Amino acid sequence: MSKGVIAALANGLVFVTGKGGVGKSAVAAALSLALAEAGRRTLLLGIDPRENLHEWLGVAPSGGERLAIAPGLVLESLRPRLLIDREVETRMPIRLLARQLLAHPLYHQFVDGAPGLEELVVLAYVERCLHGEFDVVVLDGAASGHALGQLLAPALVAEAVRGGPFARLAARLRGLVSDPRRCRTVLVTTAEEMPAAETFELAEELTAAIGVPAALLVINQLAPDDLPVARAGEAAPLVLWRRRLARQQRERERLRSGWSGAVTELPWLPLPRGAALAHALAEWLAAAPEAPA
Amino acid sequence: MKRWPRLLVFVGAGGVGKTTLAAAAGWLSARDGARTLVMTFDPSHRLRQTLGVGAEAALSEIPVAGAPGGRLRASLLDARTTFDRLVERYAPDAAARDRILGNRFYRTFSGSLAGVLEYMAVERLFEVRAAERYDRIVLDTPPTREALDFLGAPRRIVEFLDSGIVRLAFRSWFDDSGRPRLTRRLGPLGRRVEAGLDEIVGVDLLRDMVEFFRAFGPLYEGFRARAAEVERLLREPETGFLLVAGPGEERIPETLYFARRLREHGCHLAGVLVNRLHPPLESAGPWPPLLAFLSRRDGEGFRLLAERLGEIPLGGLPLLGDEPAHLAGIERVAGELETALAGLG
Ligand SMILES: Nc1ncnc2c1ncn2[C@@H]1O[C@H](COP(=O)(O)OP(=O)(O)OP(=O)(O)O)[C@@H](O)[C@H]1O
Ligand SMILES: [Mg+2]
Repeated sequence: MSKGVIAALANGLVFVTGKGGVGKSAVAAALSLALAEAGRRTLLLGIDPRENLHEWLGVAPSGGERLAIAPGLVLESLRPRLLIDREVETRMPIRLLARQLLAHPLYHQFVDGAPGLEELVVLAYVERCLHGEFDVVVLDGAASGHALGQLLAPALVAEAVRGGPFARLAARLRGLVSDPRRCRTVLVTTAEEMPAAETFELAEELTAAIGVPAALLVINQLAPDDLPVARAGEAAPLVLWRRRLARQQRERERLRSGWSGAVTELPWLPLPRGAALAHALAEWLAAAPEAPA
Repeated sequence: MKRWPRLLVFVGAGGVGKTTLAAAAGWLSARDGARTLVMTFDPSHRLRQTLGVGAEAALSEIPVAGAPGGRLRASLLDARTTFDRLVERYAPDAAARDRILGNRFYRTFSGSLAGVLEYMAVERLFEVRAAERYDRIVLDTPPTREALDFLGAPRRIVEFLDSGIVRLAFRSWFDDSGRPRLTRRLGPLGRRVEAGLDEIVGVDLLRDMVEFFRAFGPLYEGFRARAAEVERLLREPETGFLLVAGPGEERIPETLYFARRLREHGCHLAGVLVNRLHPPLESAGPWPPLLAFLSRRDGEGFRLLAERLGEIPLGGLPLLGDEPAHLAGIERVAGELETALAGLG
């Protein structure tokens, strides 16, 4: 008997990623609602500069402050840059020097240009949050390419930097992202040809990058197959819709048969982006068994 | 769009269909007799799949089999490959080249340095443009975190090159024993600063970075000159931008933001294309509830966007029953694109 999807993701970092626009934020919001409902102390963390997670939870944007959404659920939109500044401030031995450094254009160029720095800072923050304060951190990750960068950064930095605190931090975070008990990747896709193809590509690259396969595949936005039997002379929109449904079925089967890990499906609900949709999807996830393909 | 620009750039958020529309535009352009190159930076290699070209397209421009008149070529960009090639081409001598290619910093990060992909897009564009082998280039922009990062890439590079960080790299930072010079001169205070630096970033890392920038020295001038050229190229009247957007009201703020940024950059926005619109439902139905919802959503969104865009031309492309994953499907999209472009006026 397999346990539910939510129980399988109940601690550590849950890293949600997938192609642009497939529903990463929707799934991240729904997962965090379901996790909190199941009694886990949950942090939903966004790093998208467009900052739209609050819309999914029905609250006003906070300008970076943490927001308590429900018992056990906190939302935070992270600005990695601010974290870096704060770090410098606390670590620099001389306050005045720290302030001068922060104001210096060279500092900005270094921080903007240093590869992997923002990624490391985000992961270090997650690590800290998991240290007693939260059971689980759901990270609404960037789209495919950048997501890979996010998980690869510790390994790259650890490799390129000899010694020093950066190298130590990177090595520790590499341990975090490649530990299947502390970091789980959730891949979101739709049952369409391009996103599905990209999902398999991404899954492979992820496994190669961190040595751990994705924990869960979410096939999102499945349109219900509720059409009556086809008739001759049917209206054009119905013909199109039928065609789309057939395509969807084919891609769905391809996804399920090509995937060796756990899969779950979410319906395409006739609702706009917002809390009602997130809650409805959360209920689906809470009821979903962790079904191996 | 009455006259096609010589350089046509597709921009927009991830997942809206930029790559497919860029391929379709290339197809139309070639059909009408122009020697055309479609350049894409999609790391998922979707265009390769769509146009049926192999991995060799990362190295050179590959003819697209079955395209009209044999005039269509495709090129894929891979940041690492372009970067290596650039170093090989512009390094003054073999020793300089080997120093860069052998730098551990470069080896690990040349594919993932912040902004490298965007900048490489611009470099490659310049290279191809300068060769004048094409009547038209269709450019599919890379999926960036901020979808218009690409535009600023040349300027950022120039600013970077003009900045202190590079000049500093040429100063002798480290003495022969490998200790930072500046902080040493400061005596005990310097040692504290050094300890602070070491605590935050690590002196070894700084040393590697300085070495990297120094190795790059001989290439700076060329970078600066080309970046300025490309910046100009993106603003030319002969360069047109098409902004691709997803359907629905939720996407409108993002679309307006892109349009504004393009204008601020002095770029010529030929129009906005809303892709994958669900069909309008003329009669009362009954329709599947989800289809009815999406049809209303897309219709409303389109109307609102038209209102908000004002003067900027707006067109729409319908959702197709079959997503074009191959050249055969591209022809169908190309037809829809042609209609939409004609509507832009
Ligand atoms: N299961 C669903 N049912 C109905 N609508 C959905 C569902 N999942 C996502 N959507 C809609 O699809 C659109 C995109 O979703 P979302 O913003 O979550 O995608 P994303 O992957 O986070 O996008 P981005 O790559 O831009 O961050 C939204 O308008 C959202 O309301
Ligand atoms: Mg999102």
